[in-house]
Amino acid sequence: MKLSRREFIKAGGTGSGALVIGLTLPGCSRSGGPRITEDGSWTPNAWLVLDGSGDVTFTLDRVEMGQGTYTGLTTLVAEELDVHPESVRIIFAPVGDAYANPEYILQVTGGSTSLATSWERLRKAGAGARALLVKAAAEVWQVEPGDIRTDEGALYHPDGTQTMAYSDVVELAARQRMPDEIPLKLPENFRYIGRHDKRLDAYAKVTGRAVYGLDVERPDMVYAVVSRPPRVGAKVDAVDDSAALAQKGVVDVFTIERGVAVVADSYWHARKAQEKLRIEWDERDAFRGDHESIFQDYRKAADDSRGDTERSNGNARSVLRRADRVFTAEYEAPFLAHATMEPQNCTAEVTARGLEIWAPTQAPDIARIAAARVTAFSPGDIEVHTTFLGGGFGRRLTQEYVEEAAAIAEKLDRPVKLIWSREEDIRHDMYRPGMLHRFQASLNGEGIEAWDHQITGPLIFDYFARNAAATQYPWVPRFLYDTMARVGRLTEGTFLTPKDHSAIEGAVEVPYGAPNILVRHTQADAGVPISYWRAVGHSHNGFAVETFMDELAHEAGVDPVEFRLRHLTDKPRHRAVLEKVAEAADWKGSMNEDHARGVAVHWSFGSYVAQIVEASIENQRILVHRVSCAIDCGQIVNPDIVRMQMESGINFGLSAALHGRIDWDEGRVRQSNFHDYRLLQQDESPAMDIVLVDSEEDPSGVGEPGLPPVIPALGNALFALTGKRQRSTPFVADPGETS
Amino acid sequence: MPIELRVNGRERTVDAEPDTPLLWVLRDELGLKGTKFGCGIGQCGACTVHVSGEALRSCSTPVEAVADREITTIEGMVDANGALHPVQQAWIEHNVPQCGYCQSGQIMAAAALLGRNPSPDDETITAVMSGNLCRCGTYPRIHAAIRSLRESGEAAGEQSS
Repeated sequence: MKLSRREFIKAGGTGSGALVIGLTLPGCSRSGGPRITEDGSWTPNAWLVLDGSGDVTFTLDRVEMGQGTYTGLTTLVAEELDVHPESVRIIFAPVGDAYANPEYILQVTGGSTSLATSWERLRKAGAGARALLVKAAAEVWQVEPGDIRTDEGALYHPDGTQTMAYSDVVELAARQRMPDEIPLKLPENFRYIGRHDKRLDAYAKVTGRAVYGLDVERPDMVYAVVSRPPRVGAKVDAVDDSAALAQKGVVDVFTIERGVAVVADSYWHARKAQEKLRIEWDERDAFRGDHESIFQDYRKAADDSRGDTERSNGNARSVLRRADRVFTAEYEAPFLAHATMEPQNCTAEVTARGLEIWAPTQAPDIARIAAARVTAFSPGDIEVHTTFLGGGFGRRLTQEYVEEAAAIAEKLDRPVKLIWSREEDIRHDMYRPGMLHRFQASLNGEGIEAWDHQITGPLIFDYFARNAAATQYPWVPRFLYDTMARVGRLTEGTFLTPKDHSAIEGAVEVPYGAPNILVRHTQADAGVPISYWRAVGHSHNGFAVETFMDELAHEAGVDPVEFRLRHLTDKPRHRAVLEKVAEAADWKGSMNEDHARGVAVHWSFGSYVAQIVEASIENQRILVHRVSCAIDCGQIVNPDIVRMQMESGINFGLSAALHGRIDWDEGRVRQSNFHDYRLLQQDESPAMDIVLVDSEEDPSGVGEPGLPPVIPALGNALFALTGKRQRSTPFVADPGETS
Repeated sequence: MPIELRVNGRERTVDAEPDTPLLWVLRDELGLKGTKFGCGIGQCGACTVHVSGEALRSCSTPVEAVADREITTIEGMVDANGALHPVQQAWIEHNVPQCGYCQSGQIMAAAALLGRNPSPDDETITAVMSGNLCRCGTYPRIHAAIRSLRESGEAAGEQSS
């Protein structure tokens, strides 16, 4: 991501003599560039504030949910500013134009974009600050700026004897003119990028001091819980709250758009009172299906409609019609819950200035619109404070908990913290959509001649747009929010709204060389709320494409690694990770005779990842012994964070591969907590070796790319072990005869 | 009703119904928010604290059951001089935390394990720590951090992985 020509790094000063570095977005600004208050306490759109006491404060505009932005983005700024990353004070950004993610024009942390989109801008911010400090020092010392050296927050006179701290010249620096060109360091001069490995949030997180949304404390705060419809589409019909109101500590019970709120002086009192609520639901329009009925509908949709062509090379249809032998396969990826360890929550308070929100959210600007939607407050009257997130994985891109807390706070005269139980979190999630995949292919000798991939299922933007569309135009009146979403939908693919790739990403980019490739999407939507889930479309397309590729390798009688390499002749980065992982895993080497290996390679979020899984089945239990992983994510800022994200993606993927499935009993979600929506646990976590590929390309994502390959690599290992193909997740020890 | 507790070496009196889970007393009555709520049914371990040195799920322990017992939370693991507990130190050295939400519970579970068995073998570490879930999947590092702390690592079956 290059710095847009319309963006400028700007500097300013404060009354108290601090130097402020921010971004202006001329022409399209909602609130201008870095405006600075007299006391320097409020500096919208600032990234860096250097004050006379020596403090360097960095405003982190991508949330920290485990993926490492707190460390990674700080490293970028610190590198160019020539300060140690550990010396930087980090604060979470409020809502501000300059903090929008240039990939989405929303202040969103997602899509594994944080480093890629910050790589140039934040280094320029750091370099710009350093340039001004150097100019100021040059003025003081009357020397050429180019002769001054900087290191760890200090300026060194060319005579080698005099030094000044940055804090000595910040006031003078703030009056310097920002150079038109801000040169960045050459990679060989990097001191922290590529080397700094220590997580800056580790101390706070091992001492229990990190403040997550659930830990927000306000004076005189009360607690709220909400009873939501047991089936999607149901509504409150009648409420008998007499017994609940009589419970100890209960402050109030009332109905909001999303359910019935119980407010009490403690969380436990609210929960106990909630049990006494008697709610009659109007379920006339409610969802009463289940996994089977949804997939039956998908199959019918796939039969009835060829769908939209999303990629076409050659003429796969006619080649397949004429082929002597057509290989087909159908795969199912179920609905999945995010199950962040921190359940959804939000604290809200009506103040003299408006509405204040504290939330573990991946999108504070969408949170602001969500709060405005359900209250009388305008977005400009709403302030959103972002906390540490106890996991995100896409769950916190939508803002239902903010809508609920805002609606509740508006009816109270004191701050309120809303907490979802784990059961509510599992049953009222915005799920990873279940998707159906159908393939047809023909081989020409040992090569793929034609490939036809039909993806059937819903599009996430239909659900996400509800608040996101209005967020891009926060001045529109509230009654137009839904119109904005509909317009956004209608204009998808135009300059107004980007195309929704959620169903097809990871399928249209199938890297394998074949003369005839067709990828199509058939829309089918059960009406179950869905959202982004780690790796999004890649999570199921990676499974489908890489499993089918393995099936074709088997049909062609070619080794699965070799078969892939033969179809990747013009894909050097895919080839490199595949070759490196084969070497790391000793692909052809011997192993325990009861074990087997499987492979997959997948590009997502700009990064190339290949994995080899070694697995066995003992006593009808699938055991994953080792996962080898090679990643090429361009230049690496914090090597150990890349390793951590690979480990994390692997174990997240294995949770789905071994356990993950949301199902319903006549529309009521069957799973409720970790005993029946199982997450991978310590005794299921495999040994891992992670290979980082050297690269001089710009950085790309790491939070999600580790996940997609592990599911098919495990399934392919199980096929190698048993001869039976795993065509739906979660995998089972004996999937039956499938081919 | 008033209940007497000993938390992190201090006598505390809280006003709570006897069936209130210890977790909510710690968090919302005593302001010790390092102990986390994850599932409410003792399935995930995010709420793990020590009671008389043993790991215990505070989300499903009524506060009355631990009156007069010695309770230690993550806040009590740092000594009076601010020095971290060796498990916390190992967690930092191994870059264990990602989102970090489960880590208070992981650390309390690991410290309790090492407290009663200073040299747990790999299988014991795995078995004991399997009760604490981590959605970020930091298990390999949790395992490695605990291994680094055991006495006589070789004798306890050190192996490379």
